[in-house]
Amino acid sequence: MTGRVIVITSGKGGVGKTTTSANIGTALAKDGYKVVLIDTDLGLRNLDLLLGLENRIVYTIVDVIEERCKLKQALVKDKKNPNLSLLAAAQTRDKTAVTAEQLKEICDTLKEENDFVLVDCPAGIEQGFQNAVAGASEAIVVTTPEMSAIRDADRIIGLLEAKEEITSYKLLLNRVRPSLIKSNDMMSVDDVVEILSCPLIGIIPEDTGIITSTNKGEPIVNDEDALAGKAYRNVALRILGEEVPFLDLDEPKGFMAKIKNAFSKLKAKV
Amino acid sequence: MGILTDLYNTVAKFFRPQEESDDASKSVATNRLKLVLMQDRTNLTPKILEQMRGELIDLLSRYVEMDKELLELNFEQEGDQVALMLSIPVIRAKDEEEIEAALKAEKIDSEEEPIPEETESEVVQEEVFAEECDNIQTVSAPEEFKGENTEPSAEEHIEA
Repeated sequence: MTGRVIVITSGKGGVGKTTTSANIGTALAKDGYKVVLIDTDLGLRNLDLLLGLENRIVYTIVDVIEERCKLKQALVKDKKNPNLSLLAAAQTRDKTAVTAEQLKEICDTLKEENDFVLVDCPAGIEQGFQNAVAGASEAIVVTTPEMSAIRDADRIIGLLEAKEEITSYKLLLNRVRPSLIKSNDMMSVDDVVEILSCPLIGIIPEDTGIITSTNKGEPIVNDEDALAGKAYRNVALRILGEEVPFLDLDEPKGFMAKIKNAFSKLKAKV
Repeated sequence: MGILTDLYNTVAKFFRPQEESDDASKSVATNRLKLVLMQDRTNLTPKILEQMRGELIDLLSRYVEMDKELLELNFEQEGDQVALMLSIPVIRAKDEEEIEAALKAEKIDSEEEPIPEETESEVVQEEVFAEECDNIQTVSAPEEFKGENTEPSAEEHIEA
């Protein structure tokens, strides 16, 4: 079998690359696919924390490259889902410990025995990015509806376009806040898609559940009720080729919203 | 008073219908972002854009009378293509005589223009500009119209 290698990248830090990697990986594994997650953020590894696997890591990607262990030994299986495994980054080394060729070789080996190899890319556009992209043929560009994140995403899209190996890239818009979009204080999904002219693969609402799920080391896709979890499960389905409509992110009308609405109408009459 | 005003504003903001806040920060962000992305994508700095705008105004003013303040120079992205969009509010088109007169006047103007001796960096800029002007003229103008004070730098440029 030859699996798909997808890099999850963004340019800017803190927009949710690692959260996205953990959730898409978990969702695909739950759907029965064999998935390996590779953390390429050497020196700043976090994917292990989000999956709750931080205590199980013995060998890292650098150990594999420097031949202190076999590739299979370094793969840490997920607690719940045996379909999912993690190749952790080294925490004590920096980006120069790995070359693009070495990472490509690892991706090529892993895709032989897995349906999906998801590469969590570090922030920036330097060596770390070049390494992460080297083995991939698809990319997911994570951004948020903020100017700095969009500008960086645009830069990343430009770099991805220049790479022959990358045959498709899609946009994942993270941390969307419908209430701010409604009050015209946040760029809408359409605005961002128009500006970046890049096809969309997912819209993830801002969800406080992400914080608690990170605290617990449990990806939010495992929470059936969370809206962000559902949005990530839909992303996984779209990766699998299914046509899933984007979620309606309008918040349910609460008590306060009703009162506010009533007063607005009253004011309009006066 | 201040507290009351603040309170009123806060309450008013809370009850204001959402349609009223069209001028909110989103459109500011979108516009700023579009401009900065255009600069990023094309590698054109604001300074170069301003220069380009200035030169386009100079060129087009020979042929049409326009509202220079309202001239807009933008880049628009349609799919993979980036288009340079120039929006010119034309007041009226000039007739042939005017155009010729303007061309002549302009030529004499720029040839008589002395090279200002100011700070070093500004002089460099002026020279570049003068060089370009002379170059344009020599393309369109016959030899006898040329002033005697043509700079050597311009001559070099033409030969090159």
